[in-house]
Amino acid sequence: MSDVERKTFVVTRFDPDRDEVPKTQSYEVPCQPDWKILDALNFIKDHIDASLSHRWSCRMAVCGSCGMNVNGEPKLTCKVPISDYSDTIEVAPLSNFPVIRDLVVELEGFLEKLEAVKPFILRAKELSLDEGTTRQTPEELEEFKQFSMCINCMLCYAACPVVANEPEFLGPAAIALGHRYSLDTRDEGAAVRSEIFRGEGTVFSCSYANECSEVCPKNVDPAAAVNQAKFNSVIDWATRLVLPRGGEK
Amino acid sequence: MKQLLLKLEPVIWLLFGQGILVGTMLLTGWLLVVGLALPLGLLPAGALDHTRALELGSNAIGRLVLLALIALPLWKGAHHLRSLSIDFGGGARDAAVATLLYGLASLGSLLALVAIARL
Amino acid sequence: MAPSAHPRAMAPARPGRTRTAPPQTAEGWYAQPRMRRYLLFDATGLVYLLLGFLMLRVTWALGSGRVAWDRVLANFENPLYVAFHLLSLVAVVFVAVRFFRLFPKAQPPRIGPLKPPPAPMIHGLLYAAWIAITLLFVTILCGGLFA
Repeated sequence: MSDVERKTFVVTRFDPDRDEVPKTQSYEVPCQPDWKILDALNFIKDHIDASLSHRWSCRMAVCGSCGMNVNGEPKLTCKVPISDYSDTIEVAPLSNFPVIRDLVVELEGFLEKLEAVKPFILRAKELSLDEGTTRQTPEELEEFKQFSMCINCMLCYAACPVVANEPEFLGPAAIALGHRYSLDTRDEGAAVRSEIFRGEGTVFSCSYANECSEVCPKNVDPAAAVNQAKFNSVIDWATRLVLPRGGEK
Repeated sequence: MKQLLLKLEPVIWLLFGQGILVGTMLLTGWLLVVGLALPLGLLPAGALDHTRALELGSNAIGRLVLLALIALPLWKGAHHLRSLSIDFGGGARDAAVATLLYGLASLGSLLALVAIARL
Repeated sequence: MAPSAHPRAMAPARPGRTRTAPPQTAEGWYAQPRMRRYLLFDATGLVYLLLGFLMLRVTWALGSGRVAWDRVLANFENPLYVAFHLLSLVAVVFVAVRFFRLFPKAQPPRIGPLKPPPAPMIHGLLYAAWIAITLLFVTILCGGLFA
């Protein structure tokens, strides 16, 4: 095993029962050259310190569980090779989230924002089964497909300067998901969501830093979704000024 | 105040966006002339003397251009400075900062209308 | 240069069962090159604000008669004004380049029956418009048109 390289991982630790504030702990890990950060974390847990807590699941960047800050940048730890880094690597919990323990962050706030955008097909009247399947052309699918690829890994929330400073802001992933449904031709809820987008968590808080799209591991481009949503919201708002409420479905 | 700001966000965003788009396109030409051509002595004699400038500025399109050149940069500036304030931990003071900055932009826009009416 | 996150950032409506450590922004996140460019982009707001008020002054002088107008033009020869105008030009170009890059993807795929042109085309059209409008404006101001 001559290609084993020893690297030092400086990992944030926090035990709510024992620690006032989070602190760091260093581990020397013998790494295989093709390891990802997650492999090293699992090695630490399996062989060095069983008390380390971290989330992970699929090991192939589709579940969104293993998001963490690696050297200060939000990454999927199962996707990032250790060879991208030098001998000392810092692993910390995702920015902008309350921390439950070690590298595990509180998800509830994110889930509440997701729920708030009504991320499902909204129809005034459900179609009956007799009417058959709803038809959608490939072009219509293309309009929203990119925004449906989100794996809810929350790296975008860690990267966003507005999320860091405005607790009510809905955030990139939630807005992208809401926008995905508004763009879906099967959906009739665009107006409802436009109003949500102008409410407390307003999409207009977004300052187009574009960091969310830079860190997104699935090329969802949430920044595009949020700014398209702004545009649509303005059109909806202007239309409402002119048309009476009864004009909507 | 926060509720009022939320209601006005779409308009502010539109003005801000045009401040960047239209404002930038108009400002470049203006800045090239007064920032480069003028001090370098490249401006043809009489091109911007008072008579001609007033003629240009006081026709309908000229007035619109002047309005755009004053108001749009103000809204762009106000919105971006508010953003900067938020970036630096200003969530709590946002309502106050926004009121101040958009107030400035509104004042400037009103004065712009007066200034243009005087032409 | 690492401002902390808001103490209630991403906080749930009701607290969980255990005590949580407050949200943090990564050390040095705001100092990395991309974030620096974004913060600079926001900071150009100050230049634009000042420019707007300067244009107000110029317009006011235009309506105040020849003496006031000549004074403003004379002021523009002052090195401080020249420096400000040049800084503004740099700021305007910086803003334009960043905005033109980000604008195309912010167009919704469809508004009613209308589809926007493909993103690279919008990008090109923006630059074309910028150059065309600038040339036109400079020509007019320098007396090449409407003399």
